[in-house]
Amino acid sequence: MTDMYGWTGRILRVDLSQGKVSTIDTAAYVPRFIGGLGVAAKIAWDELRPGVDALSPENMLFIVVGPLTGTLASGGGRVVVAGIAPQQRPSVFSRSGMGGHWGAELKYAGFDGIVVQGKAEKPVYLWVHDGEAEIRDAAELWGTGTYGTTSSLRATHGPKTRVISCGQAGERLSRIACVQTETGNAAGQGGFGAVMGSKNLKAIAVRGTLGVRVADPQRLLDLCLHASREGQSPPPPEETPRRRGWWNQEAGPNFRRRKCGFCITPCSDGLFMNVPGETVPGVHTAAWQCWGYSTSFRAHVEARAMTADFGLNGWEVSYGMIPWLQMCRQHGLIDKLDGLEIPITEKLIENLEDVAPVSGAFLNMLLHKIAFREGEIGDALADGSCYAAEKLFGGKGAPLLDHIYPRRFGQTNHWNAHWGTGGSPYFPFWLVPVLQWVVDSRDPASDSTHQFTEHVLRYLPEHGSERGPLTFEQARAVCEKVYGTPYACDPTPTYDHPEARALPAIFHHNRGMLVESLVLCDREQTRVFSMLTEDRKADTALMSRLFSAGTGYETSERELDLGGERVFNLLRAIDIRNHGRGREADWQVAQSLAYPAFTDGVVLDLEQFAPMLNKYYELRGWDPATGWPTRARLEALELSEVADGLEAVGKLGKG
Amino acid sequence: MPENASIAPQPSQAALLELQRSGVVQVDPKLCLACRECEVACSLFHELECNPELSRIRIDSNDFAQGLPDIRVCKQCDWPACYYACLGKWGEPAILIDPRTGARYVDESLCRACGACARACPLTPERPVIFDKKVGKKRIRFKCDLCKDRPEGPLCVEVCPGKALTFIPAEERRK
Repeated sequence: MTDMYGWTGRILRVDLSQGKVSTIDTAAYVPRFIGGLGVAAKIAWDELRPGVDALSPENMLFIVVGPLTGTLASGGGRVVVAGIAPQQRPSVFSRSGMGGHWGAELKYAGFDGIVVQGKAEKPVYLWVHDGEAEIRDAAELWGTGTYGTTSSLRATHGPKTRVISCGQAGERLSRIACVQTETGNAAGQGGFGAVMGSKNLKAIAVRGTLGVRVADPQRLLDLCLHASREGQSPPPPEETPRRRGWWNQEAGPNFRRRKCGFCITPCSDGLFMNVPGETVPGVHTAAWQCWGYSTSFRAHVEARAMTADFGLNGWEVSYGMIPWLQMCRQHGLIDKLDGLEIPITEKLIENLEDVAPVSGAFLNMLLHKIAFREGEIGDALADGSCYAAEKLFGGKGAPLLDHIYPRRFGQTNHWNAHWGTGGSPYFPFWLVPVLQWVVDSRDPASDSTHQFTEHVLRYLPEHGSERGPLTFEQARAVCEKVYGTPYACDPTPTYDHPEARALPAIFHHNRGMLVESLVLCDREQTRVFSMLTEDRKADTALMSRLFSAGTGYETSERELDLGGERVFNLLRAIDIRNHGRGREADWQVAQSLAYPAFTDGVVLDLEQFAPMLNKYYELRGWDPATGWPTRARLEALELSEVADGLEAVGKLGKG
Repeated sequence: MPENASIAPQPSQAALLELQRSGVVQVDPKLCLACRECEVACSLFHELECNPELSRIRIDSNDFAQGLPDIRVCKQCDWPACYYACLGKWGEPAILIDPRTGARYVDESLCRACGACARACPLTPERPVIFDKKVGKKRIRFKCDLCKDRPEGPLCVEVCPGKALTFIPAEERRK
């Protein structure tokens, strides 16, 4: 053990090819890289070379937590998963994460993360407990779903054991396989379940009793109590009448509210216990969110339980694949799957609302086909629509991907007004998520877009279809203070003031990196507006004060933001050096979004967007010609070794 | 004879009436989100580290089973078997009554780690609310003390996002 506060001081390194377990000193990476994703990115930068396939033994799987994991700061149960992501097309180093209790349990077991490399000869699982880790035989677990795996490991190691695992989908290297914990939390995007499967790693079971020491307990308590009151206004958006109806009328006593571990933020989540599915007598799931239109409540919960048990990314299936299959039918490429008609509506699908509801029988059939790679179609769909479109229908389905998946990259649009559900502001506000999409290695909503979009929708007096409680004067003053531009909240439909879009895009991306590195939940910790303060500005210094109280490294808001920027630049550098990222790929994303937004019909004007992207690069300290970071900025971020590395491969930005 | 019964002497009716009543943390499992925020808050406040194993309130919940979370916390009994067990065994008891809240609490400097309190508790062994921790060579007992030194009242009540915990002061408790 070390004298550290916040961090435990040790990261597990598991080499499955050698069957060896060792530890890495966390102190070598922090406080510079904070923890979580930041530390994972640094190890990846040092060790992952270009040309590594996502599903090869050389890929590294990072399962990491941060200095605030396992504390009472909101989101303290979370864990971040990173590595080369097979879902992405092409596969690039990326990230995902999940709530639940597993992340905290890993901290209590004495570790700041696990780095898995190599490939086991036979199926194995990892048993981690109070400073110890063992690689164990998983022959009996192989072939079971995540529910069975969890129950089985709890029978072996005790009921308090927390488990992450891959289901049958991950075993079959489905590129849309998730890493699952409990019945409702998953690292969904990225296909990291397949990375587990490719390493013959079925599960990681954790049990810890060690606790997390924090530098200033009283201050941390005070901060968290203060934060808990912040988070309650306006009320959380999830509790719509439809959801309450489902809870009360459909599930009745077989429903209870439930949320992630170690979180004060009052967001809603629920557990359905043994409720009737459409084709099976009873299902059990907390994974009922992030799912498109089903014909009934029963179909919905049954499908969600299946995705959780098989370890499938339900988001991709319901918001991407099913709409795409329906488009394929509308374009005469396919009618039926296994004798069941693919449902469609009369109208050609332009947005998610045009998608026909899907029955339980169809979902049951489809999810089985995907998870078990049944038949030619199931085998293709198991890799997600973007890979499947290359193999099926002579490639004719590929163009139909374009309004769902930017750059046919493997992940659907999300909260950027170009496809999908909810969280969709009008132009010009959607330029912020579009900018984030353009430079990211995944759908950035998870950690970086949500809070911006949610703020626009819920607080601004004018932003689209709804009206928020702030006055423009108040909003302008807050934006000036937080983003450094009062125009960030200006609804005038214009590309003027490019910094008004670039600054919030950068701010929230950097904050997203902090959330993934500390590790916390984006929901509470990246707040900008508040109804509880006189000036309507949220306590944006909260994360830095939590970090200071937790670790004892007194860090200002500005300093911690630089940490977030450091992590973002490090990820960008990996993307540039290992995966050829740069302005060209960024621009392809922009081009792929140049069609009418579903909220307001406005088309992204690439001619006017180009200077905005230049402005973004300039504010980032990246070379506008290439999109590569400059040495000056990297050195300002204490990343001179990254500047050297990029220079060595001729990919350092000029300027 | 069961061990529990042997330890605590029956108090006289007069002594029972004299014992100050306590407030209590009342629980509603229907509102519990099983986030265990109370556990870390409790351990941080009392033990200065975030560790559910050192919490005085415990949430047991299983995503895979039907039923509500099981919330375990001391009921601060009118007739506290733990208190009498300690009093009966040692002339100078380690379980004391807090004059402000009425909480039955363990004075850790006095605890002899005999475990009589835990054995006497009617919730032992199915749903224990008296726990032990290693201090030096001894296994000291600890239990909910209603955050007696915290003017704002029990911390777990304050952090609970589901409002599943409520503090009921002694005078508002039903007889």
